[in-house]
Amino acid sequence: MIRRLLNLGRRAARGRPDVGITPADVVHRENKWCLLRYRPDQSVEPLDAPPVLLVPSLINRHYVLDLMPGKSFVEYLVDQGHDVYIIDWGTPGPEDRYLTFDDFTYRYLGRAVRKVARASKTGTIHLLGYCLGGTMTTIYAALHPEHIASMVTLAAPVSFHDDGLLSTWSRSPGISVDALVDGTGNVPWPLMQVGFHLLRPTMNLSKAVYALDRAWDDEFLDGFFALETWSNDNVSFPGEAFRKYIRELYQENRLIKGTFSVAGQPVRLGNLHIPLMAVAFEHDNIVPAESVAAIMDHADPELTTLKTLRGGHVGAVVSRRASTTLWPELSQWFQEAS
Amino acid sequence: MIWKTWKKGFDAWEASTAKYAEEVLRSSAVLWPAGKMLTATMKTRAAVDDAAAKWWASMGLSTRRDQERTLHALNQLQSRILDLEERLEDATRAPKN
Repeated sequence: MIRRLLNLGRRAARGRPDVGITPADVVHRENKWCLLRYRPDQSVEPLDAPPVLLVPSLINRHYVLDLMPGKSFVEYLVDQGHDVYIIDWGTPGPEDRYLTFDDFTYRYLGRAVRKVARASKTGTIHLLGYCLGGTMTTIYAALHPEHIASMVTLAAPVSFHDDGLLSTWSRSPGISVDALVDGTGNVPWPLMQVGFHLLRPTMNLSKAVYALDRAWDDEFLDGFFALETWSNDNVSFPGEAFRKYIRELYQENRLIKGTFSVAGQPVRLGNLHIPLMAVAFEHDNIVPAESVAAIMDHADPELTTLKTLRGGHVGAVVSRRASTTLWPELSQWFQEAS
Repeated sequence: MIWKTWKKGFDAWEASTAKYAEEVLRSSAVLWPAGKMLTATMKTRAAVDDAAAKWWASMGLSTRRDQERTLHALNQLQSRILDLEERLEDATRAPKN
């Protein structure tokens, strides 16, 4: 036990680990967001496949998909020869309280898709959205499938009326979304962080005990601290975007009902006639599996695949198991759907 | 050995406590007053901001909201210009008859 404690202390004293360090270049910048293109590994033969555009959630940093060497989905894809792009949504300023959900889902995401498609030999791309990023890619693909060769969504909700706590809270009659947005502008990340902690109030204590239990394992500790760095590095939710997201998706569940519209255009999930893989995680308490699986009732059944994997919302995407199961499967999917 | 036994006990406690906490946090007896309190706090905050802005504006100065709206308008303008650049790029790429 003393050895574990000493090891834990030594690792903590080294400070924050380096995260998100796969080399990349900014190929487009607009307001606070930018489009990054990862530099290809010169020793790897590039694949003859459309580029992959990764779309993370608006409220988390993009480097969850590029956590650290050996625990990076991005690094894995680059090593396989994929041409990889990612959206870094940046940090909203007070003036971004007026940015709408349509600005992000239609204007910004649309621009990123077109920019990457222009750089693609075939004019098409593979799209991967994670969490809210997956909801956004689903909405965009239902409106503009023309540049999309295939799409993968990871833990991306499409039906918002489920048994999860987030769904229950957002529909609670005591809470006024308007008051929250009018009072805060951008919904502050510490407030959202409290909400996420309340999903399992014992989680922090449990994580500390788990870390102590595995404190002899340096590799585990590096990953643990990297993930903790990411999970405490959040961004606030632009106010108007939050208002529409909560009201029309969480409260009114419009996407699944077919009454949701973006930039004045109705979004019909039945228009998704592209190869689509929806990945849900069994122990995900942020996006319950049934919320992801609902897409199966709407998208083209011949082109849509649902995968339900073990694990939680984040761990299942960045774990050691993911690097030997989920990542190779996704790389294979992108090659076969080309 | 002691650690393993303690951890087993901890895991059992954690699982049962988390389950209980979820039930509490799902209950309308907790959600309703908590939501009302949050809403009231936010309304107060908005009212204070509004009063401060009015006082500031009464002196002929631009308020924080004015500045935010101006910056937002500039950002939207940048996006429109980028839209036009894209259209121009498409037009120059399109095959000529």
